Amino acid sequence: MLKIRHLTKHYKGSNKGITDLSLHIAPGDIYAFIGHNGAGKTTTLKCVAGIQDFEAGEILIDGKNIREEPLACKRQLAYIPDNPDLYEYLTGIQYLNFTADVFGVSQGDRQERIRKYGDVFEITASLGDLVSSYSHGMKQKLALLSALVHQPRLLILDEPFVGLDPKATVLLKDIMRNICAGGGAIFFSTHVLDVAEKLCNKVAIVKDGRLAASGDMEEIVKPGFSLESIFMEVVDDADTDHDTDKAGTL
Amino acid sequence: MMRTQIMILTKLELCNLYGLNALRFSKDRGARRKSLGMLAVWGLLLIMMAFYMGGLTYGLVCLGLEEAALAYLITICSFLIFFFGMLKEGSVLFRKEGYDILCALPLPRGAIAVSRLLKMYAEYFLLTLAVLLPGVIVYAWNVRPGVPFYLAGILSIWSVPLIPMAAAVLAGTVITGISSRMRHKSLAASALSIIAVVGILYGVSRLSALEGHINPEMLQNLSETVMALLAKIYPPAVWLGTSISRGKIFEAILRAGLSLAVSVAVAATVTLSFRKICQGLHSVTAKHSWQMGELKVDCVLSSLCKREFCRYFSSSIYVTNTIIGPIMGCVLSGGLLAAGPEALKSVWPLPASPVHFIPFTVAGMFCMMPATATSVSMEGKNWWIVKSLPLSAKNILDAKLLMNLLLVLPFYLLSELLLILALRPGPGDLLWLVLIPAVMILFSCVFGIAVNLRFPVLEWESEVRVVKQSASAMLGGMGGFILALLCTLAVGIVPGTYVGYVKTGVCVVIPIATIALYHQNNRFDIREK
Repeated sequence: MLKIRHLTKHYKGSNKGITDLSLHIAPGDIYAFIGHNGAGKTTTLKCVAGIQDFEAGEILIDGKNIREEPLACKRQLAYIPDNPDLYEYLTGIQYLNFTADVFGVSQGDRQERIRKYGDVFEITASLGDLVSSYSHGMKQKLALLSALVHQPRLLILDEPFVGLDPKATVLLKDIMRNICAGGGAIFFSTHVLDVAEKLCNKVAIVKDGRLAASGDMEEIVKPGFSLESIFMEVVDDADTDHDTDKAGTL
Repeated sequence: MMRTQIMILTKLELCNLYGLNALRFSKDRGARRKSLGMLAVWGLLLIMMAFYMGGLTYGLVCLGLEEAALAYLITICSFLIFFFGMLKEGSVLFRKEGYDILCALPLPRGAIAVSRLLKMYAEYFLLTLAVLLPGVIVYAWNVRPGVPFYLAGILSIWSVPLIPMAAAVLAGTVITGISSRMRHKSLAASALSIIAVVGILYGVSRLSALEGHINPEMLQNLSETVMALLAKIYPPAVWLGTSISRGKIFEAILRAGLSLAVSVAVAATVTLSFRKICQGLHSVTAKHSWQMGELKVDCVLSSLCKREFCRYFSSSIYVTNTIIGPIMGCVLSGGLLAAGPEALKSVWPLPASPVHFIPFTVAGMFCMMPATATSVSMEGKNWWIVKSLPLSAKNILDAKLLMNLLLVLPFYLLSELLLILALRPGPGDLLWLVLIPAVMILFSCVFGIAVNLRFPVLEWESEVRVVKQSASAMLGGMGGFILALLCTLAVGIVPGTYVGYVKTGVCVVIPIATIALYHQNNRFDIREK
């Protein structure tokens, strides 16, 4: 579904970015992407979503190169950033209709999906209000709704649980599982390691722009350990042995 | 205590004046280059203004108008401050950005408003220096005034921006205050601003009109005539200008003190209503009563274009800044119909007939500030949305172009109708009258996008930064406007038999340039921004 090969992206005048990152996300995967602040998670997600260009490497979505066929790739995915700055001058329903128009979702489909997910997230009654009147959590829900309205095969989510109320968090996890059960895939960053451990079948840990560990959750988190303890171990280890590339070695 | 807190807040307000803080601390070379480019554009404009003001003063001194020169400069400066201020001060003073954070701090009630007013004053004082200093240097070099002139000037120049700023703040506050009570706040503020600008322009034109024709007696007392005219338009400029040029130190200080008293009174009034207006402006209504009806399906271009219109009408400063040009175009056409082409001929210094140059003049008005010139920057923090959607640069930019053209279309049609009625052109001239403004408007819209793609400002706190202070706002309007100005001059200068060639050339070359620019825009990699 998503192949990232030797991705390298650095910001001019800064040592932040991502170096030689390779990952493979298969259909059905819920892939957690974890790391400290400034590790390069958001940069990677933005490159995958086609928002940001990169210096080296390649990103393939369903076998298509994001650089060569960006529109075909973007039709397969939905991206939600950590802080969903949505169009405040539109109403919720105008925003959803706009997204559905861009993806060419039929009237029947959009009606059904907006009704379904709007009711699930309990924001249907607010869809006629301006986005500027929404709370952070409501904006997050609207962003999720706009992603789900065109049924993407790949969901790229940056900190999707931030700002969501407990009920919405539970519902989102169910939706994520359903998408993957239907052959889709989810690649998301999070700082909530408990959720990642319980929800995901794969995990990647990034440290200072380099992949420190990646693989199946069961392989990485051995019995008797938690993802939290593994994360601390990997990050501390990477601190002492900075130059060693540990990708896929754990 | 209050004074210290106001100083701290003012320092905070001033710290990123003209993007200097970002330039100082940004590690992104691209961002630094852009900031430097922006400063270079400002520098260039300052140099141009210095030459203009210096030349103007020299001309006035040569005409024997030494007495009126300073009053004239102060009037120009005051009008610049008032006009630019009136259109933006409401948005700047009552802006939402940072307001909530500051309100949560233990600050005295008026501190936020006062600090914002002080920042405005600092900006206008710099503008005053930029406008007045070149003129004063030329004046001093030629007239060689005594020490009292310099003392009076130094002790009172600080007061020049006070009254126009106070008037602009008052007008901005009234407009914002009224619109804050309405449902469609931005639209109401835009409409009120436009009505105010047109009303003021009409008032000034009436005030500055000379009664009767210029006669030899008036020319003999030109200085008095000019002073009388300036006194009708803006008396404080004449009072202060006369005091400085005559070296009356005490009088100059007294008049500066009066300006200060007026502006303090206005500041106090604004400060008292500040919180209430802010609350009215920043509050949003939510009904929570939406029910699913039949959803409308649109094509991609139509959907994007609708979104552009929603964006456009959500910002009063964006609307006011970009719609003034088309309105002025219609006013010019309407004025021509009311006064007749003969009236224009009497003020037009070149031999060409109005029917030849009017299409270019009207086009110039329409091209003053195309909405496309800031349309990419106006996306701001939302730019990620279109970048993440399966949309090509062409999809996104076509919608911006279409929005601008649809916005201008009714004004263009009205203006053309008025011009046709006023000029009653033959079939050939009718063609040029319709074609030339259309061609130039189209070019200016495409040029606006090209400029904004190269000078985008996507990280901003206030829309004023984009609409009033960005390089693309300045350069975007120049393309079509300067082109129209040059064409007007060309048509005025070339012999009548060659005017047709100029028009044909314009209607062939400009569309070719527009098409080339359009294709270049569409090849732009939006991920770079």
